[in-house]
Amino acid sequence: MAVEQHRDETGEDDGFLSESQKERIDNFARKFRSNTKAMVGLIIVVSLIVVAVFAPFIAPYGMNETSIEDRTQAPSVEHPFGTDDLGRDIFSRVVLGSRISLYVGFGAISGALLVGAVVGVISGYAGGLTDEIIMRVMDAAMAFPPVLLALTLLVVLGPELVNVVIALAFVYTPYIARVSRSAALAERNEAYVESAVARGETDTRIVFSEVFPNCMAPILVQGSLNISFAILAEASLSFLGLGAQPPRPSWGLMINTGRGFMETAPWMLLFPALAIGIAVVGFNMLGDGLRDVLDPKVEAIE
Amino acid sequence: MYNYVLRRVGFMAVTLFLVTLIAFAVTNILPGDVALVILGPNATEESIATLQAQLGLNRPLYIQYLDWVFGLLRGDMGESLRFSEPVAALIAERLPRSLLLAVTATLIAVALSIPLGVYAAINQNEAPDVTASMFAFIGISMPIFLWGLVFILVFAVWFNIFPTGGYTSPTENLVASLRQLVLPASAMGFALTAYIMRMTRSSMLEVLSAEYIKLARAKGMSQRVVVLRHALKNAVIPVITVIAFQFSYAFGGVVVLEEVFFWPGIGRLTLTAIQSRDIPLIQGCIIVVALIYMISNFAADLLYAYFDPRIRYGGDE
Repeated sequence: MAVEQHRDETGEDDGFLSESQKERIDNFARKFRSNTKAMVGLIIVVSLIVVAVFAPFIAPYGMNETSIEDRTQAPSVEHPFGTDDLGRDIFSRVVLGSRISLYVGFGAISGALLVGAVVGVISGYAGGLTDEIIMRVMDAAMAFPPVLLALTLLVVLGPELVNVVIALAFVYTPYIARVSRSAALAERNEAYVESAVARGETDTRIVFSEVFPNCMAPILVQGSLNISFAILAEASLSFLGLGAQPPRPSWGLMINTGRGFMETAPWMLLFPALAIGIAVVGFNMLGDGLRDVLDPKVEAIE
Repeated sequence: MYNYVLRRVGFMAVTLFLVTLIAFAVTNILPGDVALVILGPNATEESIATLQAQLGLNRPLYIQYLDWVFGLLRGDMGESLRFSEPVAALIAERLPRSLLLAVTATLIAVALSIPLGVYAAINQNEAPDVTASMFAFIGISMPIFLWGLVFILVFAVWFNIFPTGGYTSPTENLVASLRQLVLPASAMGFALTAYIMRMTRSSMLEVLSAEYIKLARAKGMSQRVVVLRHALKNAVIPVITVIAFQFSYAFGGVVVLEEVFFWPGIGRLTLTAIQSRDIPLIQGCIIVVALIYMISNFAADLLYAYFDPRIRYGGDE
């Protein structure tokens, strides 16, 4: 129903999108809406973004508002998630911490997409020696377990949140590049590329205005899945003390502190842990769902 | 197949060379001079210069690099600044413990995930399948260290069945050693279960719809015989490669997991090295971890190629 209405409204040519593009978007929207996984993922991700944007208004207390007489209190009406060892409200800190996770997730993956997609598409389109050299360098970066590589980079860059973003962007670039490369490789032999070559278009133009847009689907799927990895990695790094530094309300850091109060105040650990779980499930579902919608050939297994 | 293996070995050699370059480069732009780390902040410039000359740090970088690589080839990774012991000896002591953890975790994951995957596949889209898939999704979505903490909270703090962490050598006290192994290995095994289960499920589904299975059913064979004797044998092939990949994932995850359980393996050694800016030790750990990670990924690739001829003949992707 909704789809039909939408069709009617956009039926006239507004000179902005071509008829076939509109059809493709409609088609995508219909498939997306009927995919439960994608929809649940989208709802979780949008809610997270809303929470992060309005965090200062949602959080009833400041992130560093300490109150010594209220420390390590169990969850109550005043403090729905309890308080930590310094009497800070955990609910407020979890809410404000969503900003850190999303900042690192989106920041790192935007960086990785920017570099990885361009490098990968060029590598796949160019082929030959260029491809060989680029992919061997990417292989070398992928020969390190992701968290270990990020750790090593953070030792050089120093434990700061912005450096976590840089390190993780570096870590995930080869994964994006690899997917972009295979997408470009598949597009290279398509008729539209041949005709562009025959028209005498330059390689740069073909890569960026013809091949690139057609590789977007798998690249975006990989990107949204990698956001969840980056959120996990930030939590792990902060947990190890090499990511966000106190008193920032990073979920990983909160878990690290909570670890020392496991017996007396398990809520210090449980709520940030739950937050990480929800965020990662959200991005994973969105990515998985997008993959089902955009590329029905590939099964949702990695 | 032979050519494919040779090519892959060649690639791996190139990758390994690049890995040594990265490890060397990263640790050589570290803020903080090795000589300064050894002598402490009160050292005079003169004594720093003397030590730098002794350690050969005033030589050109490429000479230092070559020296280090040739040392690596001889199994000499230099001496740890913090422990004043050869890096190779430190790693040789810690590495088997990490491997024990990763191997046990992989075994636990296999024992859990294959029956679950088969069970989900024969009940496709019914309650057990949906439950198992949800379980798999949550398993994937929680970081390994969180599973570790949850397991500690439940089984060590609340129920007090297992110790919260630590390590005892199996030759010293086997029971204590096993008790300490249970929680970290299960936490990691749990995280790995999800992927292997999903792969088993989809591979089983594919096999179950094959002609020969229909024939076996038509011949009146019982569900049990069809599933266990005929289908599983073929369905398990792609799963083996996933298991190999998961082992490398497990090994990559030990850095964090060992910290959670105070497990003195190569992961914690790496962290200690990083925290004390022990450059030779950092380099050694990075190279060894990367090498094992590479080898297990390589083994997975080979298995994959062995079982899927399209890969063998259709280039390397």
